[in-house]
Amino acid sequence: MMQTSPYVVFLEVITLTTDLHLKSVEELAPLLASKSLSPVELTKAILDFAEESQPKINSYMAFYREEALARAKEVEQEILQGHYKGMYHGIPMALKDNLYFKDKITTMSSKIHKDFVSDYDATVVEKLRDAGVIFTGKLSMHEYAWGITNNNPHYGPVRNPWDLDKIPGGSSGGSGAAVAAGASVASLGTDTAGSIRIPSSACGIVGLKPTHGRVSKNGCYPLAWSLDHIGPMTKTVKDAAGLLEVIAGFDHRDPTCVNVPVDNYEKQLTGNIKDLVIGINEEYFFNNVDADVEKAVRASIQSLVDSGAKVEVVRIPSLQYAEWAELVTSLSEAAAIHHSDLQKRPQDFGDDIRLLFELGELPSAVDYLQAQQVRRQIKQEFTEIFNKVDVLISPTLPVVASTIGDDFAELNGQKVDLIDNIIRFTGPSNLTGLPALSVPCGFKGNLPIGLQIIGPAFKEGRILNVGYAVEQANPQRNRKPNIFANI
Amino acid sequence: MSLSIQQLLENKGITPKPEHLELLKTRWEGMQSLRSNLEGIAIDDADIAVRSIPGGDHIDN
Repeated sequence: MMQTSPYVVFLEVITLTTDLHLKSVEELAPLLASKSLSPVELTKAILDFAEESQPKINSYMAFYREEALARAKEVEQEILQGHYKGMYHGIPMALKDNLYFKDKITTMSSKIHKDFVSDYDATVVEKLRDAGVIFTGKLSMHEYAWGITNNNPHYGPVRNPWDLDKIPGGSSGGSGAAVAAGASVASLGTDTAGSIRIPSSACGIVGLKPTHGRVSKNGCYPLAWSLDHIGPMTKTVKDAAGLLEVIAGFDHRDPTCVNVPVDNYEKQLTGNIKDLVIGINEEYFFNNVDADVEKAVRASIQSLVDSGAKVEVVRIPSLQYAEWAELVTSLSEAAAIHHSDLQKRPQDFGDDIRLLFELGELPSAVDYLQAQQVRRQIKQEFTEIFNKVDVLISPTLPVVASTIGDDFAELNGQKVDLIDNIIRFTGPSNLTGLPALSVPCGFKGNLPIGLQIIGPAFKEGRILNVGYAVEQANPQRNRKPNIFANI
Repeated sequence: MSLSIQQLLENKGITPKPEHLELLKTRWEGMQSLRSNLEGIAIDDADIAVRSIPGGDHIDN
């Protein structure tokens, strides 16, 4: 029998495979594992699309074409020699530009750090590299992760692939836009008040903020130490589960990391939600929500009920102070980090974040400590709620993506403050540190709507399974943006 | 004595952008109204939320 070169098999399959950039990790991994798809061809396809899409969505800060293709060849050999490591082996990914790569520039999409070179890899970068991920570049973000528009004064706005005039959300807007469009198969974001979940909701992808301490933040430039998280941003829930498994785990180098065993999250995605108790908090999480967003989220909850889940209405009184506690904590911690530059070179910050750093200088030490007391009580109330319900469900955002340049959002015909409203439903999970997942659940016109699932500490598997059930019930789950539609 | 926002910042060596002063005042007042009186929160609770962990960041068993 004639021996066929694996490379020939790769090429034959590639000619039959179109739109590789639109495929999820769960679709690509079996092709890579079975040697039906070459990591080199996949990496080239993603880089080609990413470079082609850059003038449209501006999601990348830097491309690593040459070394990505060289690394892809090494990975190809590993797989051909029978050393397939798992779901992310051979997957090309770009990461948010606040995660350190050894000997590479990490800018935080800022002017001040435009030439900053780290002498070590972030822990998550190490873990992804070990899992066989191929890095295609770094992705844009709101400057220093301190904002939700990604309208960056130094590097230009990132644009939402579903409507190029709209924001992608932030601060991980480059990750959101790149994954939604197909310029990165999956990515990581960071989340201090919602910066993973906000762009995931606005761009129609899955975003997971794990429990605080679940994923090491070693080698991630901080925004606010006690609120920061790193987590997956992916096309599907299964992709997020697989990615969390790669990056989760204890790390001595992060003082906030917690030594709790890592679960097999993917195995928990059964979609079985019979007898699941869903908590609904009407006063906070369904107050002042865009009518179409509310309709889509309630329809998804009903689909879960139709599959055997139950709904219980819950009250969380201290949530009324969550916004204040989040603002005082995040503003103060961020101002402490940037205090020296604010004194010495304030003109080098974008206007919007300079204002926030100035504002962060105003709370007193007493304000900060009282905010921590409020935070403790919010945590206690959530702990009590999770003795009665399995998960809490809410809209991720009360609105859909707004227009680039606007400092307001449209909410049921009213113009409302953009930043205050965008972080309203995501911020509490940064205060509590509890895991929270955003999953697409519908559209308002052509703009995606996200649903948020919050769970008890370290129960990422549970919220991922509920998210999987939401995803499977969503009739529009295969809808994709086309950024070249109007050419 | 009540210091203006500008004075407060200048005392810390920070020169706010002049056009930010009005916005800073509005945002600061907005934060104060969100704070309200913290009714129902045991703000004077002796069990303070900030902790000190002896022996380093992580205690290994």
